[in-house]
Amino acid sequence: MLTRRDFVKQATLISLAPTVPTFLAQTARGASPSKDDRILVVLQLDGGNDGLNTVIPYADANYARLRPKLAVEKKRVRRLDDAMGLNPVMRDAADLFQAGRLAIVQGVGYPNPNKSHDVSKSIWETARFDPTEHTSYGWIGRALDNGPAPKAGGPGSVLVGTESVPVALRGRKSVAAALANLDDMVLANSSKPAALATTDDSLLGFVQRSTLDAVVTADRLQQAAKSRPDASAPPYNELARRLTLIARLIESDFGARVYYAVQTGYDTHVYQRDTHERLLRELSEALRFFLDELKRSKLDDRVVVMTFSEFGRRADENASEGTDHGAAAPLFLAGTKVKAGLHGTPPDLTKLHGGDVSSTIDFRQVYQAVLQNWLRLPAPPALGGRFPPLDLFGLADA
Amino acid sequence: MFSAPAAKPNHVPDPWVAYASGIGVPWDLARVVHLHRRAGFAATWTEIQRDLRDGPEASVTRVLQGKSRIDGNVKDFETVSAALADSAASTAAPDRLKAWWVFRMLFSPDPLGERLTLLWHNHFATSNLKVNDLSAMRRQNEILRQYARAPFGELLRHVIKDPAMLDWLDAPANRKEHPNENLARESMELFTIGVGNFSETDVKEAARALTGWSFKPDGFHEFLQYHDGGEKSILGRKGRWRGDEFVSMLLEQPATSVRLAKRLCEMFMGEQAATPEHLQDLAKGLREHQLDVGWAVERILRSRAFFADSNLRSQIVAPPEFAIGATRALEQFEPPPSTLLLAEWIARMGQDLFYPPNVFGWPGGRNWLNSRALVARINFAAALVGGTVRYPAAPANVLELVERAVGGAEAGPGIRFLSHLLLGIEPPNSSQKALQSAVGTASALTAGSARQVAIILLSSPQAQIG
Repeated sequence: MLTRRDFVKQATLISLAPTVPTFLAQTARGASPSKDDRILVVLQLDGGNDGLNTVIPYADANYARLRPKLAVEKKRVRRLDDAMGLNPVMRDAADLFQAGRLAIVQGVGYPNPNKSHDVSKSIWETARFDPTEHTSYGWIGRALDNGPAPKAGGPGSVLVGTESVPVALRGRKSVAAALANLDDMVLANSSKPAALATTDDSLLGFVQRSTLDAVVTADRLQQAAKSRPDASAPPYNELARRLTLIARLIESDFGARVYYAVQTGYDTHVYQRDTHERLLRELSEALRFFLDELKRSKLDDRVVVMTFSEFGRRADENASEGTDHGAAAPLFLAGTKVKAGLHGTPPDLTKLHGGDVSSTIDFRQVYQAVLQNWLRLPAPPALGGRFPPLDLFGLADA
Repeated sequence: MFSAPAAKPNHVPDPWVAYASGIGVPWDLARVVHLHRRAGFAATWTEIQRDLRDGPEASVTRVLQGKSRIDGNVKDFETVSAALADSAASTAAPDRLKAWWVFRMLFSPDPLGERLTLLWHNHFATSNLKVNDLSAMRRQNEILRQYARAPFGELLRHVIKDPAMLDWLDAPANRKEHPNENLARESMELFTIGVGNFSETDVKEAARALTGWSFKPDGFHEFLQYHDGGEKSILGRKGRWRGDEFVSMLLEQPATSVRLAKRLCEMFMGEQAATPEHLQDLAKGLREHQLDVGWAVERILRSRAFFADSNLRSQIVAPPEFAIGATRALEQFEPPPSTLLLAEWIARMGQDLFYPPNVFGWPGGRNWLNSRALVARINFAAALVGGTVRYPAAPANVLELVERAVGGAEAGPGIRFLSHLLLGIEPPNSSQKALQSAVGTASALTAGSARQVAIILLSSPQAQIG
């Protein structure tokens, strides 16, 4: 039976005819609700997050020794166990941890760490080490290429923000959309372009597909905005605003499997404390708010959030009260379905490699778990091989 | 004037051989439109007609010399421009500084100069997000413009020792006792030799060479007390290197000329229009001409490769080209559009001037066309033609343009003219239906239907390609 919203959705898509080709209108008619699809939200901490001041090895005397000015006092750390704790500004994240909704994977990185923001970001985003592969397709784009097509010609992934679509989301077939806010996605009625669905790889074919995608996306988002006008006020920061928009899209059954947002500013070479703590506070508050919003709409079982950063920072502070580019760092997975707690081993500060914390877990093991056990997408084509998945989703995997 | 390339052995074809009109490559509307879109911000109909008459040599010369614009000229342009920039900087209003640059793109007698300034803004991508000083951002922008066609070494030395860049890449924090690698790394990876041509050790050693570089309120200053005077080994050469010597080393590396050639080909040549031979030959020529950018630009713009079919309509046009190009082609000069609003539209299309996304600048090409940016482009077409980009709003008089060019308002010729003007091609098949329904059963265009035709053409997929 058609619900009212289905009807509205169908009506607007069909009203786009003849700009929207028949097959799409047909798909809109036949679209089945995807309420049980699992969703991944990726948060990129851009610039290289200082892992040691995020998940703090407070019991290790080497920590305070390496960071005479930047170390967080032991008594201020939010303890997770007798060795590790969270930065004191991360109260909300600590609450999530206690409530069994936060997993922390320690020491994540890759062999022979690269210190270039661009190269290391590309490695994380493409799961490839060959620079010639760094501008083509990303791990998420490739994974979505091998999954079922998203409904009604919608995008498989959405970047929420003002940045360009990151290479992580680019795929050969799958389409990534981008938007900063819903107003940006309202098409002036007088100018809906003639968009054709083509498959040829020419520049014009590409523009035609992108135009079609823009028109369809605009239409869907107008529906999303109408579906939930009563959102509680988010904490006042840009990341929370972006996550709220993601929550609206998920609630409106937008259909994308992956959402992506970037929090910038982690490249803290100079006087880092205030900047870094502001970022961590925003991250922690935004994460909690987002998960609570989804809980309210009873969608929290369908969503997992994963953070990543292109690298951690050097173990010792520099003389400008900042930290330089490093290697391995912890990352977060949040949601009701994650196996909460600390995964992996604490950083060994007695065995630094070129001044950096070494990785004990390959980032592709995390990706393998996320793809195979959460999104249920084939991991090998996305990662260029098979990696032992970390046990991040517990019994929910079965 | 163009000088003939040095003689080459006759079995090696010159990839940049000069263009001359001929069979298969006639000097026609498509090529005139191409020249002004790649090397400027589109041309008005009068300018297109003039260039069709005068031929490629005179037309390219005018573009190179910054004398190609007939329409939309502003009296005392530089004085007005300086006044706009002064007021933007003194009121600390980033939007007004963006508007200042848009004013220059729209009205400068030298659109190629502004396009090259955009190229360098992307190459030396510096964001006011961190610098947070509009006077410094303006000064950097003026350096990019002043040395846009200079030998690359002059440009690099001026930019790298300018406060905006020094601040952006943490030079003041780079001191003997605690080197900061930021400026050293990006100088190699982004500004010159590129990734793969240096090691992490080179970065560390180069950072030592750059210790002491900083700035005072009046500009660059080298603090010798912070400089590490010891021996460094950079790119295989040992010595007590200082910053200037490090920069010289980078300029001498062949990889710098290759990277520069790539940058210029990205700008002037479409997807797959430049072969490895084109790149290598241009890089070699750059090395033989002290990395003279002006020389390379002229070589490209005069070449057969630049005017080859494979290079026509083979790029996604960037946001400023799209917005300013449409504004100029439609002669929206009187009353002029709000440059503040134009800058806002350009940002919505994905290029927030003075705020590149990171040190790598905007990725460009196909990356421009995400959904949000496309919606912005499509909506901009309606806003420009509908006249809401002006204060007070005043719809574009498209019909007058048609009547002036065609000598009447007949629908068929009118639509063809607008497609030639705005896209440089015949009306696209995929837009026929929409065009027909805009005109209805009338045999002549009206003020309203002429505007609708312009909107349809500017929001067509074909309008995103240039």
